[in-house]
Amino acid sequence: MSSLTLIFTVLAAASSRASEVFGTIRRTILTPIGRVFDFLLAPVDRAFRPLAKVFNRTLGKFLGTVTGLQLAFVLTTFLLLLTGGIWGASIIAFEPGEGLIALDIRRPLAYACIWAVFAMGWDIQSGYTGYISFGHSVLSGGAAYTTAVLLNEVSSTLPLYVTAPISVFAAVVIGLLIALPSLRLQGPYFSLITFAAVLLFFQATRAFDILGGSAGLRITRVIPAADSFTRYYLLLIPMLLIAVALTVLSRSNYGLIFTAIRENEDAVSAAGINPTKFKIWSFLISSIVMGIGGVMLTAAVSNVDPTQFVQVDRSIEMIAMAVVGGIATVLGAMGGAFVFFLLKEVVLNLFIDEAALRLFVLFLLVVLILVFARDGLFRKLWHRLGQIGGEEP
Amino acid sequence: MIGAIATAIIQATLVSAVYALIAIGFTMIFGVAGVLNLAHGALLMAGAYVYGIVVMRNIVPSMTYHPAVGVIAGIVVVAILSLLLYELLVRWVEDNVVITFLSTVILAVASTEFLVWIFGGQNIRISLIEGQFALANARVAYYEAIGFAVSWIAIALLWFYVTQTDDGRSILATSMSERGAQLTGVNIRMVRAKTWIIAGALAGLGGMFLGFDSGLSPLMWLNPLAVAFIAVVVGGIGSIKGSVAGAYLIGFIEQITVELIGNGFRGMPTLILLVGFLLFMPQGLFGREFAHE
Repeated sequence: MSSLTLIFTVLAAASSRASEVFGTIRRTILTPIGRVFDFLLAPVDRAFRPLAKVFNRTLGKFLGTVTGLQLAFVLTTFLLLLTGGIWGASIIAFEPGEGLIALDIRRPLAYACIWAVFAMGWDIQSGYTGYISFGHSVLSGGAAYTTAVLLNEVSSTLPLYVTAPISVFAAVVIGLLIALPSLRLQGPYFSLITFAAVLLFFQATRAFDILGGSAGLRITRVIPAADSFTRYYLLLIPMLLIAVALTVLSRSNYGLIFTAIRENEDAVSAAGINPTKFKIWSFLISSIVMGIGGVMLTAAVSNVDPTQFVQVDRSIEMIAMAVVGGIATVLGAMGGAFVFFLLKEVVLNLFIDEAALRLFVLFLLVVLILVFARDGLFRKLWHRLGQIGGEEP
Repeated sequence: MIGAIATAIIQATLVSAVYALIAIGFTMIFGVAGVLNLAHGALLMAGAYVYGIVVMRNIVPSMTYHPAVGVIAGIVVVAILSLLLYELLVRWVEDNVVITFLSTVILAVASTEFLVWIFGGQNIRISLIEGQFALANARVAYYEAIGFAVSWIAIALLWFYVTQTDDGRSILATSMSERGAQLTGVNIRMVRAKTWIIAGALAGLGGMFLGFDSGLSPLMWLNPLAVAFIAVVVGGIGSIKGSVAGAYLIGFIEQITVELIGNGFRGMPTLILLVGFLLFMPQGLFGREFAHE
């Protein structure tokens, strides 16, 4: 018992020492840097204020109101995304031992678009309603496997406009199968069922021969891998459409009720609204988005296998992306997916050769973000930008 | 036919004993701290790997200690890891259920990647002692019999500790009413730390016996975590007695499924059981023992 007390004392001392260090860093480094940014960005805010006023009057009802600087930030981001096929062809990076090198990051950018769809799909259900799903890879994987089975069993020449709607429909059916029994329950039970659903689907891929076992099913790519430019835009455009649609949804009454369910479900019931109905709606919408994402991923690869599509790690990665960007912020989840994916495929690649170590470092970073910035990077950034424009913190 | 049934029953009993070890720690942490620790599977995995490192020649050639040393090392190391998990991570986020959920599960995935990095993704065999004996037509490996005995010894010790000593009763009291326990002078912080240590020790023990059965692999945390979940829901969240009963129920249903349908369908009937319990009996079999405020 005395050793236990000793461990406690050491830990307590370490934690108080750590908070002291953080305080010093904040006072001497972060705050002055923040002031410099405030000083530099204030003119930008003023320049964009008239445009922001127009935006708030016309689109504010659907997309939410912004300050000048926030609008400038959104516009810059979208401009960067829209021109990604051009500047992504060669960015300059620093590799230890090699010096400055040119990198083509259009492939990671293209895949980040798909994962952004997944992260937003997870966010609109789990992030907004607070019913955390660990099983969203079942939905995207269900859509992917439907496409692959159709191509393998019916005809390998089925066009996308036939397979895609059926696959999205399959995702919705799977979603309803999970949601109808489990969303009547409160608390952690829902998460348990979704977690078990992933394990079950993973097992099913091995139990049924039609699903191809652990080797998976081979298919022909719809989007050719050779042309990075076209592939990026073919994946970016659906992603942007989904981002806009989900943002509108999250700012509508539906989004409000989803948030209310997360904050206080009893209050939602007391207001005469059936929370179960809206929880199922959110899951349904999420299933559609996940289905579309699954179809997008299937179109860009040549093999549908359990490791790439179903395994629980995939669900956790979606969650990690949404967490990095900010839970319950559709666009934050989108940004989080890009940050996560570019960190994983580009930035950490430069420093760490070992794939597993790279992921380990990445997931530890996500845990740190959860502990120290649980609102997510993009939500923090968004409010900081708003403060410069005079918005209340 | 009779022989096959006897074999199945014996196998199921042996498997269930290990499941019980896995589920108890998970349920205790939920009962006392109100935290669903999704990194529980990672703790199990840590136990198995520590044993492998200390004892097996094929992992670290210079370390080949006696298996007993390995078992003790596994228990102690995982107990410490469990305490560190609480002190360094869970304590800072436990006010928010969603963040606790997410951070523990992401930590579990991070531990998988860590093990892939250090040991590679392949399955590594570990063993306690070789050999087997016959019991009513069934072949029982020595390690399975030891696992069964160890499981019940651990349960008995835990029962004695929680019901017969003041120290243990403070844990029980905290799980029933944190406020009440605090008013009678129980140090809640210490109780929580003890709970995490005990849960870690049990997880380390259970993890080792899982490892003897199916080897070490970086994804070995997944299925046991699902088993712990289901056992806890079936038995009633927070109830130790219930989680033991739940573990045995799952072990038997799995074994029957494997015998009658095939190994590929191992998890499916238990999932149906889970959904059934959630819908019609969400409090579980013994749900009232550890009532949480």
